[in-house]
Amino acid sequence: MTIHKPGRRLMHNVPLRFVQKKVSGHGHREINASLSLTSMIDFLVVVVVFLLITFSASGETTIPKGVRLPDAENTLDMIDAPIVAIAGSDILVDGARAGNTRAIEESKRLQRIDELFNVLKGKRELWKQLYPGKEFPGVVILQIDQDVPAIVVKSVFQTAAFAGYPNVSFMVGMIPKTNKAGGE
Amino acid sequence: MGGVDVGSGGGGGKRPTNSEINMVPFIDLLMVTISFLLITAVWTHMARINADAQVPGPPREVEPDQVEPEKQLHVEMRSPDKFTLIWKQAGTVISTVDVPRKDNVIMKEGRKTVRYPELAAKIEQEWKTVGSHRDPSDKKFDQAVLHTDNETPYVYLIGVIDAIYQPHRPYNAGGKTEMVPAFNVTFAVN
Repeated sequence: MTIHKPGRRLMHNVPLRFVQKKVSGHGHREINASLSLTSMIDFLVVVVVFLLITFSASGETTIPKGVRLPDAENTLDMIDAPIVAIAGSDILVDGARAGNTRAIEESKRLQRIDELFNVLKGKRELWKQLYPGKEFPGVVILQIDQDVPAIVVKSVFQTAAFAGYPNVSFMVGMIPKTNKAGGE
Repeated sequence: MGGVDVGSGGGGGKRPTNSEINMVPFIDLLMVTISFLLITAVWTHMARINADAQVPGPPREVEPDQVEPEKQLHVEMRSPDKFTLIWKQAGTVISTVDVPRKDNVIMKEGRKTVRYPELAAKIEQEWKTVGSHRDPSDKKFDQAVLHTDNETPYVYLIGVIDAIYQPHRPYNAGGKTEMVPAFNVTFAVN
């Protein structure tokens, strides 16, 4: 019995050369690959449905130009509440101008901002008319630039509190938690 | 082409029961929808940090009962070198601890983030020792008061408030226990 070189033997004796090439592993790959249309459409539909569910038509809360919010780790989810923004020296309530911070920056004294107070008070009264019998949540969200001095923050904070919004929240960017929150 | 087979019918009507969908515009539509949704998606998520104002609000119809003053943690950040944590009860100082101040400033795309991990760890330790409201059934929270000078930039205040919110405690709400921040934070007006 002769000794043969080791290698593939299966289908080796097929007389057709292109079949031999294919089965012996020397054949070229097809240039055109077929795509399963059903799987592709399933995938596309799932992606569309996912994106539609997560899509917010109203968009996220808009941040006025020039306001750079700081980031924080121990945060809460956003809620629907009036937004007081400090853009430059202007104070905006839900995008509408409601006073400025120049007087505070010049005097460097904690003081109530009357224009802001009146706008917030008006919003509070409107809410009470719209939802009679319901307890007013008293939440306001502050959008403040990272470099605004503390005296301005405290003045706006106090003005909001005096206008009937004791629950003041600061809008921040979210950063992932570094460690698991501990408790007892 | 793809098709929708709704059965063989058999009514003898003129219209064919099976209708065909042209796959090319169908896939085009899906692709355009995906592109639109991806472009309009907002990838940055905003959050909030809560603070309670302890200033007289509008007059209440029913005045609350007089309650015994509770312990409060006063966090002093006026010094550039250290934080001072002071536990007070009705104006009486219970304990004082100094924490070296190290401003860990992280700059990212023009945005600044300030972290105080040492302060957060010390506040957590203090709360575990001195804090009054640690039981999950306790509906009240310990109060922290932040003292700062008038010039401190807002980003540093957020850094300290974030550190105060680091200690968490279990809280029973509607038969479910969840972890919530141990402190409520407010600003000192002076």
